[in-house]
Amino acid sequence: MFEQTTDKNWSLLDKQVLETEYDIVRIRQLIRSHAKGIQMGIVDQTRITTAVSELLRNMYNYANGGEVQIETGPVEGKMALIITCSDHGPGIENLEMAMSDGYTTGMGLGYGLPGAKRLVDKFEIETQKDKGTTVRLIKWR
Amino acid sequence: MMNDTKKDLKNRINHIEDVLASVAAGDMEARINSEIEDDLSGIEAAIDLLIEDLTDELKKREVMQREVEDKLAKIQEQQKTILQQQQDLLELSSPVSKVWDNVLILPVIGTLDSQRTQVMMENLLEKIVETGCTVAILDITGVPTVDTQVANHLLKTVTSARLLGAECIISGISPAIAQTIVHLGIDLSSIRTKATLQDAMIFAMKQNKRSEDSRPHSRFADADEKNE
Ligand SMILES: Nc1ncnc2c1ncn2[C@@H]1O[C@H](COP(=O)(O)OP(=O)(O)OP(=O)(O)O)[C@@H](O)[C@H]1O
Ligand SMILES: [Mg+2]
Repeated sequence: MFEQTTDKNWSLLDKQVLETEYDIVRIRQLIRSHAKGIQMGIVDQTRITTAVSELLRNMYNYANGGEVQIETGPVEGKMALIITCSDHGPGIENLEMAMSDGYTTGMGLGYGLPGAKRLVDKFEIETQKDKGTTVRLIKWR
Repeated sequence: MMNDTKKDLKNRINHIEDVLASVAAGDMEARINSEIEDDLSGIEAAIDLLIEDLTDELKKREVMQREVEDKLAKIQEQQKTILQQQQDLLELSSPVSKVWDNVLILPVIGTLDSQRTQVMMENLLEKIVETGCTVAILDITGVPTVDTQVANHLLKTVTSARLLGAECIISGISPAIAQTIVHLGIDLSSIRTKATLQDAMIFAMKQNKRSEDSRPHSRFADADEKNE
């Protein structure tokens, strides 16, 4: 999965399980502190934290929770923070629609996924019906 | 003579079986307590010892189980307290107050999960009805992350307040959060926003004054110059 952007030189900073709504808050705070830890500026900290928040909420709302992996390392020669969110939920039925502004199957605004994509430098998503969804966010430092 | 010994032996074995059956049935008081000294008495004594050990073990287990149950009960009690405190905090953390004639202020602190937002929104709407205030300032300086869900809640709150006749001003959006909201793509242009709480309050007071001067017109006579 995500062949081009998987690198053995990345180091794992954290791995977290998302189960409750409180975990969203907790993991978000962790992301912010890791972003700070690799000297990201306040705007980038806010962007990556907000992008991750979208994915966490989606996992909580649509997939009954999931897992988050936080890594750091080079991507295309530049240091980056890499966040991978994966779940074993129902998968996203219509990915193209889900990635477009304003599409929601729930009561949301439908800006979570496309918004998260705009907030980071690289965005990869893989989803399979009844298997789950994995999203990888990459933000250069 | 031989017959007598055999009969004795048979009785003793029967007794052993009885005792074992009693123990198996839960009677930990049963013992063989043989007084005869012979080849069999070693086994009898060993069985008694075993029963003794077993009784000790069972007692220890019972004590342990009781301890575990006590601890569990205590934890459940604590959990209840925590839940209660969380509930209290929910109420406390959305204090709506009337700071000025006609102006309500709601400082939003911390992370807005869906439960808290619900409470916050209800409190605000109730207060609007109760006081008849027509301006409400929602200060989100203390909110670290504004994602689509928080934005959605804010939009809904503002819309509901508007239906009740109150105009909301959202203040305390940091430059980083402002940029993030723009990238998310959320349109907050229907909401009046101010950089700081102070700006919002000055604006609200001017608004108040203007509407006093021009009564009985709407307090938001200039509603079309929103988001300047
Ligand atoms: N992890 C997931 N598993 C299954 N379906 C998902 C997942 N993430 C998103 N979806 C689907 O994709 C749709 C679009 O997601 P998106 O985050 O863009 O919007 P939303 O969650 O509906 O609203 P918002 O994020 O603006 O509050 C969702 O409505 C949902 O149907
Ligand atoms: Mg979403």
